[in-house]
Amino acid sequence: MIFALVATFLSDLSSFVSDNFDGLLDGLRRTLVVSAIAIAGSFFIGLILGAARAHRIPVLNQLAAMYVEVIRNTPILVQIFFLYFGLPQVGLRLDAFTVAWLAVTIWGGAFNTENFRAGFEAVPSRYREAGFALGFGRMATFLNVTLPIGGRIALPSSINTYISVLKNTSLMYVIAYPELTTTALQIQALTLETVETFTVLAVTYLVLVWTMSALIRLLESRLALPEERS
Amino acid sequence: MLPDWVEPVARYMLEEGLVGTLKIAAIALAGSVLVGITLGTLLTIKFLPLRSLIRLYIEVWRGLPILVTIFIIFFMLPAVSRQLEFDALTAAAIGLILWGSAQVAEATRGAVQSIPREQHEAASALGFGWIGRHSFVIMPQALRRLLPPLVSLLVNIIQNTTIAQVIGATELLEAGERQSERLVAPEPIGLGEIHAFEIYAGVMAIFFLISFPLTRLAAFLEKRLV
Repeated sequence: MIFALVATFLSDLSSFVSDNFDGLLDGLRRTLVVSAIAIAGSFFIGLILGAARAHRIPVLNQLAAMYVEVIRNTPILVQIFFLYFGLPQVGLRLDAFTVAWLAVTIWGGAFNTENFRAGFEAVPSRYREAGFALGFGRMATFLNVTLPIGGRIALPSSINTYISVLKNTSLMYVIAYPELTTTALQIQALTLETVETFTVLAVTYLVLVWTMSALIRLLESRLALPEERS
Repeated sequence: MLPDWVEPVARYMLEEGLVGTLKIAAIALAGSVLVGITLGTLLTIKFLPLRSLIRLYIEVWRGLPILVTIFIIFFMLPAVSRQLEFDALTAAAIGLILWGSAQVAEATRGAVQSIPREQHEAASALGFGWIGRHSFVIMPQALRRLLPPLVSLLVNIIQNTTIAQVIGATELLEAGERQSERLVAPEPIGLGEIHAFEIYAGVMAIFFLISFPLTRLAAFLEKRLV
């Protein structure tokens, strides 16, 4: 009885996927493109502003601190509303795609600034002193000593931020940018195959997120500092 | 001093919106802590079927975007059974509880396991059973370690209540959006003016005023208690 129900549901599911395959794939592709842009962007923001915070570079340090506090203490959904519905009033009209990648980049950049700052600050100062003693300048010491060690310390938390960036792209539903979630809801409205739609949507996100967290564990063991390798 | 349109807009946003936000946040926090601490404590039992079930719960609700979870509760459950139909506020609160309890469960497992084994043994020697041991001896000590993550969770829950806007629950962002749309309408309903910039900046400011002290508190507790 239960087995028959499961079998029917699975065949419903597979016909749902094959009927809407192109639409779903387009949505997934947009989710991945927006996430990839935002992950790359927030990596560089985190790297630069995290270094500025950790090394107390005047002005940039204070500006970065303000940026981090404002973004971390306001909901990303309100930030999206502000960018998409608020800014046109002052003459800055951004299209849905721009807001989609910009909003998650700004958000991920703020969290990554904290991740990298913590990573760089965790590098013992004697390592940097050793770099200076070898005749490296400040920049060379950062690139050759602080970055390789601190970057690895920051790696797990920054990948967690990238996972959240991917999940947050689903919020672009509110500006009707046709990424995965928006596409799925459009398909649901057309086909009324509610259970199938949300099952496929949920499974897709779980596969993406679980793959990324499996990657963390792999990278963690590959990139572990020599003294932590077991 | 302030333009005339501000007063009624601010009043609506605070009296209807902020109240709704706080209501959802309070339900979600209470539910997350209750379910999360229970599941997290059960996760320390070495019984594989139970552990894998709780693990699955944690990984699923932590892995899904909260928006998708709320859509599933609000749109999919009623399609499965008529009895599973919830209003927007309840659906949002349930979605936040599923997500929040997964976070709390993970933190609780760590906190409970950080309590030395001798505490368990001493409590058992005094005649406590498993439930008594955990509720009177282990949990009070684990709570100290749980406090900083719980304050961070509260900040995240308050911020994520805005996702309830998407299904039309009355909370701060939704209240702001309604007012911003009303002002665009011609008189006497609105003013025929666009004030989206000020309104959404205002929503951000209110959330900042609530979140900022709490994130400071979480950072302070982290330093004090660990």
